[in-house]
Amino acid sequence: MSTSRFKVKALSWSPYIEPVDVATASEEQLAAMQVTPSNTKVSPYVRTLAHDPESYVARTKLFNAIMYAKGGLDRAERELGALVASAVNRCVYCASVHARRYVELSGREDVVEEIYVRGLEGPFDARTQAIVDFCKALSETPSQATSEQVQALRDHGISKAEIVDLIHSAAIFGWANRLMHTLGHSVPVEAK
Amino acid sequence: MGMSDLDQIDILSGLKPGSELYAIRRERPEFVEGTELCRETVLSPNHGFGLSHALRAALASRMARFIGREDLAAVYDLILDDAGSDPDLAAIASGAETAASADAFTSAIIRHADLVTQTPRNSSRGDIERLEKAGLSKPQIIALSELIAFVNYEARVLVGLSLLEEVE
Repeated sequence: MSTSRFKVKALSWSPYIEPVDVATASEEQLAAMQVTPSNTKVSPYVRTLAHDPESYVARTKLFNAIMYAKGGLDRAERELGALVASAVNRCVYCASVHARRYVELSGREDVVEEIYVRGLEGPFDARTQAIVDFCKALSETPSQATSEQVQALRDHGISKAEIVDLIHSAAIFGWANRLMHTLGHSVPVEAK
Repeated sequence: MGMSDLDQIDILSGLKPGSELYAIRRERPEFVEGTELCRETVLSPNHGFGLSHALRAALASRMARFIGREDLAAVYDLILDDAGSDPDLAAIASGAETAASADAFTSAIIRHADLVTQTPRNSSRGDIERLEKAGLSKPQIIALSELIAFVNYEARVLVGLSLLEEVE
């Protein structure tokens, strides 16, 4: 637990292209969006991607497995991988969601404050530094990630199976950021 | 275990059947199978919205080259040949500058793939508007975005697993 009280604001997301309208959606789009008579509220993000329902359904299943599958790397550290990728790619919306999830799961406001205020260079505690360094390199320019960075993860007691989970969590945000940050932008949450 | 048990990710990551990391990958079948299913939906979807399998393979090859995975690009070159290549598609795959004679639709697609692969942080509303002006439909814009994002994901998985295979 940290003494930091740093808070990341919740944001909404607004697409640059007109999303699918639930009222006029095809059967395949409705199925992809999981619209049922009792569930007609679908986020703008899901409705935007539902223009191509086939890829949306496959990717969502993979995404959920990578972020939520039981066992392996601690869920908080998968969220940290997501946050680092989102910071590299400047996906403000993704960063805000996954910074908050990371704090909920880890209590590490101090790490999030460091990333938001000073960036990804740190310094962080040694284990966090190893995770941030590797995910940053993999997200920015994969060819610049090194086996020394992977060895540093091993030296901090992270197993190979856990590193496989970390690789996937950073990589799937190389994907998610390339959707959310290119197809729309973050907006303040509307006042209720 | 035969070679047929190796998928594209294993081969390009240098994983051998029966190796420790090969076995570890199989403890996450939802990652292994999910990645292959995603590959089909972006490279050879049932509904391609007019973006041909050949164009998709050519773009995937080009992006893999820009990411620095010539081996991944070579795999997509083979898929491109199977799908039916031509000089224009081969030029896209090679990473060449877009020819001045290229149509606006294709030029806009190539520009976007290059931008989002290399500097996604710099993309803005204007880049999506350029695609619309060049005649891309909304489903085409989403399908293109998913293809670009998939190849960037795949390359990062490959790089990560290759490095992990090198350490104890």
